Amino acid sequence: MKVKVWGARGSVPAPGPETAGYGGNTSCVQITAEDGTEVVLDAGTGIRGLGLALQSEAPRVNILLTHLHLDHIQGLMFFAPAFQPASELLIWGPSAPEATLQDRIARYISAPLTPVEVRELPCSVAFLDAPDSEWRIGPLTVRSASVAHRGPTLGFRVSEGDASVAYIPDHEPALGAPLDDLEDEWISGIDLARGASILIHDAQYTDDEYPQKIGWGHSALSDTLTFARRAEAQRLLLFHHDPMHSDGVLDAMAETAASRWEELGGEPGSVEMAVELEELSLEPARR
Amino acid sequence: MAQRPLSLILARNLLASISTPGFLVDGTGVLVFYNEAAGSLLGAQFEETGKLSPEEWGRMFGPFGDDGEPIPWDRLPLTQDLRADRPSHSTFTIRGVSGVEHEIEMSALPLVTAEGFTGALAIFWTRGESQG
Repeated sequence: MKVKVWGARGSVPAPGPETAGYGGNTSCVQITAEDGTEVVLDAGTGIRGLGLALQSEAPRVNILLTHLHLDHIQGLMFFAPAFQPASELLIWGPSAPEATLQDRIARYISAPLTPVEVRELPCSVAFLDAPDSEWRIGPLTVRSASVAHRGPTLGFRVSEGDASVAYIPDHEPALGAPLDDLEDEWISGIDLARGASILIHDAQYTDDEYPQKIGWGHSALSDTLTFARRAEAQRLLLFHHDPMHSDGVLDAMAETAASRWEELGGEPGSVEMAVELEELSLEPARR
Repeated sequence: MAQRPLSLILARNLLASISTPGFLVDGTGVLVFYNEAAGSLLGAQFEETGKLSPEEWGRMFGPFGDDGEPIPWDRLPLTQDLRADRPSHSTFTIRGVSGVEHEIEMSALPLVTAEGFTGALAIFWTRGESQG
């Protein structure tokens, strides 16, 4: 299983020389199974580059949307396979009581916000509520669960053999209660993250910033580190970088994270900031 | 133990953050949390009692009928309302561990998600107390 980060920024794209190191595109992560099955986690602006990379393959792509905030769907309109008749898109997302997934996404892909409607997309596209249980996408096992964020929001766990990626890009598990005070059963998202080979997790704010952002649905760095240690994630990729954070700020956060991670008993070198276009390879130890 | 439904996690965090006495039951009626304010009224904090089955919390705290016996939880109008996914408001007599009885008013709401009924959150306040 291969993992490639196409966008690690949160909230809004942040292009420019100050963010060129970590990248300015919003959330998008590609997972490629050993047999070539493609799963895309979120469709932020990073998905535009992924679409260009996939363009010649007329692919069948499963897109798993954690939620429908704009920084997680904005790239859908610029995903090249969506405009190829031979492509097949399966778009999975959280259910909501008031409208179907397709109708909610169509609020963005429709006039006056965009020049085309969902029904006009030339590809084959299906909108599917993510099941409340495990399901299979080719050789991959996918699990979703609701997590603490604003509005219906999912986290995902994608596994192949013993290798697993837990993806919880927008998450505030410490909302209302310090994580250190809670038993595992009371921590949002912990079952998804438990023992994951890689945990890709929200770390939008520094600890100094967080008190002014409580309830916005994102995590302080220390809470993310504590969450990952509680879940015994093997490796942690800090994600959903704040658009106000320059490369210099993120470098400083990376240093703080490495030091605190070790203080919490984490293995040195197993925590890092997500970087756009970064590729990771996971070797599945077959059961 | 497996992680609880998000609706219960968020409800617990809310209760832990407020000074209104309140408790949380899961979908099977088990009392899975009550806050510090409720603990002060009951004379025992949640950290001391831990989770309590419906029979346990009924025996310990009530509510009690006019005969002084605990009213079975599944016969309470409140339970019946919640099971029908309706909010409920009731007046009860409960008893703290010290024996002090409190007449309380309680408002409870069911926590219903796409997966169905996951539990209920109840807040309450005292109308008076007497030595039981």
